[in-house]
Amino acid sequence: MKIVIVGNGIAGNEVAFSLRLAQKDWEITILSAEQFPEYDPCSLPYFIGGDVPRDTVFRKDFKDYRMHRIHLELGQRVTAIDPEARVVATDQGREYGYDRLVLAHGGSLFIPPIEGIDRQGVHSCKQLDAADQLSQYRGSAAVVIGSGAIGIEAGEALKKRGYAVTIIELLDWVLPALFDPETSRRLETHLNHYGLRVLTAEKVLRIEGGESVSAVVTDKRRIPCDTVVIATGVVPGKALAETAGIKVGRGIRVNTHMETSVAGIYACGDCVETVDACTGEDAMFQLKHNALEQAQVVARNVLGEPVAYAGAYAFARANFFDTRAVTFGKTTRATQCELGQLDIIERAEGEDYLRVIVKEGLVVGGQAIGRLADYIGLFIGAMWRKDSIPAIRENWALIARKGSCYPWTYRKLGELMGLKS
Amino acid sequence: MTCTRNITILVDPEKCTGCRLCEMACSMVHHGILSPDRARIRVLRFEGGGSNVPLVCQACEDAPCIKTCPMNARRRLGNHAVVTEEERCIGCRACVYICPIGAPVVNPESGKTMTCDLCAEEGTQPWCVKACRDYGALKAVDSGKTAARKSRDSAAQAKAAYKPGKKV
Repeated sequence: MKIVIVGNGIAGNEVAFSLRLAQKDWEITILSAEQFPEYDPCSLPYFIGGDVPRDTVFRKDFKDYRMHRIHLELGQRVTAIDPEARVVATDQGREYGYDRLVLAHGGSLFIPPIEGIDRQGVHSCKQLDAADQLSQYRGSAAVVIGSGAIGIEAGEALKKRGYAVTIIELLDWVLPALFDPETSRRLETHLNHYGLRVLTAEKVLRIEGGESVSAVVTDKRRIPCDTVVIATGVVPGKALAETAGIKVGRGIRVNTHMETSVAGIYACGDCVETVDACTGEDAMFQLKHNALEQAQVVARNVLGEPVAYAGAYAFARANFFDTRAVTFGKTTRATQCELGQLDIIERAEGEDYLRVIVKEGLVVGGQAIGRLADYIGLFIGAMWRKDSIPAIRENWALIARKGSCYPWTYRKLGELMGLKS
Repeated sequence: MTCTRNITILVDPEKCTGCRLCEMACSMVHHGILSPDRARIRVLRFEGGGSNVPLVCQACEDAPCIKTCPMNARRRLGNHAVVTEEERCIGCRACVYICPIGAPVVNPESGKTMTCDLCAEEGTQPWCVKACRDYGALKAVDSGKTAARKSRDSAAQAKAAYKPGKKV
């Protein structure tokens, strides 16, 4: 059996190495557009900021590929798939035949159409070569465009390197996809406290300068700078799938066995659109834990074991300097176009903050900052189990008075919700 | 000697008196000091009811902390325990937040997380289990036997339910 995997990211490697564990003689090839062994994009900001040495970002070594007899072809960007002939073609003019094809090429950085974006000094930090460039660059004033998780982490990294940092967000609050405005406002104060300038509801119009960057112009002001970091999100790489006639939505569409609409072609990782494990709605969370789980499902299905994928889940943490925050499930904004009574549980104790979004009595999401985040896992559990929050509220005093330790998770939940016995 | 036997720490909160000897033993064996905030096991005390729940990493089969750690610092040992590699950890607490019971403990000195390694380096029973000998709230059992014991109990209950006249 000949397996070709497109993409040398976390999902692609998980598929390759899981297949190798089960099948000693299959021919497994990974086609990588980059020049490195597997690395973790989540680690890159910490490497740029100097928290960890460069070698910690790698999850594999070239030796690991040789030891497991996995052919790693570097610098081969796949440009077309011919599902009839079962062949993929790369930009280097090479062709690879396959019996099963796995698409795990992820997404690419969204480059907003801003004038002057190709000037020297404009960086990104999604891929390792871009992160290398940014970490070798010497500047003093940086503007980060976009305040998603990558934007905030890049801002923190540059601040640690001594830059003056300004973060610009188009929407009304920072981390708009992950947090509610109430939580984000608190995080914004923290960012300001650490000396990062945050500008929300501002649109970048152009990047000025000669050969290299000298300023960023927004609709409200002109910010002189010598470094710009683009962190405006990631778009799934569905163009490649379209060359094979695979059905795509926001990302590549897959069935519960992670197979695409074309037989023999599987997909996993940042490029696929799957379902939310809790709600069953179409969802696209480009997060590492989902990529790993999808890859394991792909591997088992390729091996002939018909495993169904339970779905993806949203869980992300945001940390910069001494601030630590977490979010899971849906934000209030994500529930806005749905029917149902919303009930927000909110608690604030100094710097610590907890916010749980309850819809029709069930937990659908939550966010927390600081110490109140430490037991957020109990709310995630309540969301998975579909625990009724009104029932917990009603019975809690009784559970607490009885003194039994067995329903301790509920007792702790009640404590976190601020119930009194 | 490194322990490779798969054991699990079985917790019976009903028997816990809240004496925190387990915390002392844990901090002693791992850090050489008697300090409850360095312990990888901790006793959760509930006000009012007076009950105590020892919390310790359960080394989940499909551990979510391994998958969500941005630095790939969570690692499974040969004895099945899941620990944080200190050189990699950046203290972001993703493992604390995703844990269903919030088991990882943050080392107040380094800011990095730490979890139970089942005293892998000791080659004996975990120290917390030894410390709890008198009360039996913590027991070291072979992995798999915890589930076996549970299913045997419920099988016995089901069997009794089918025998008329016998109390369950």
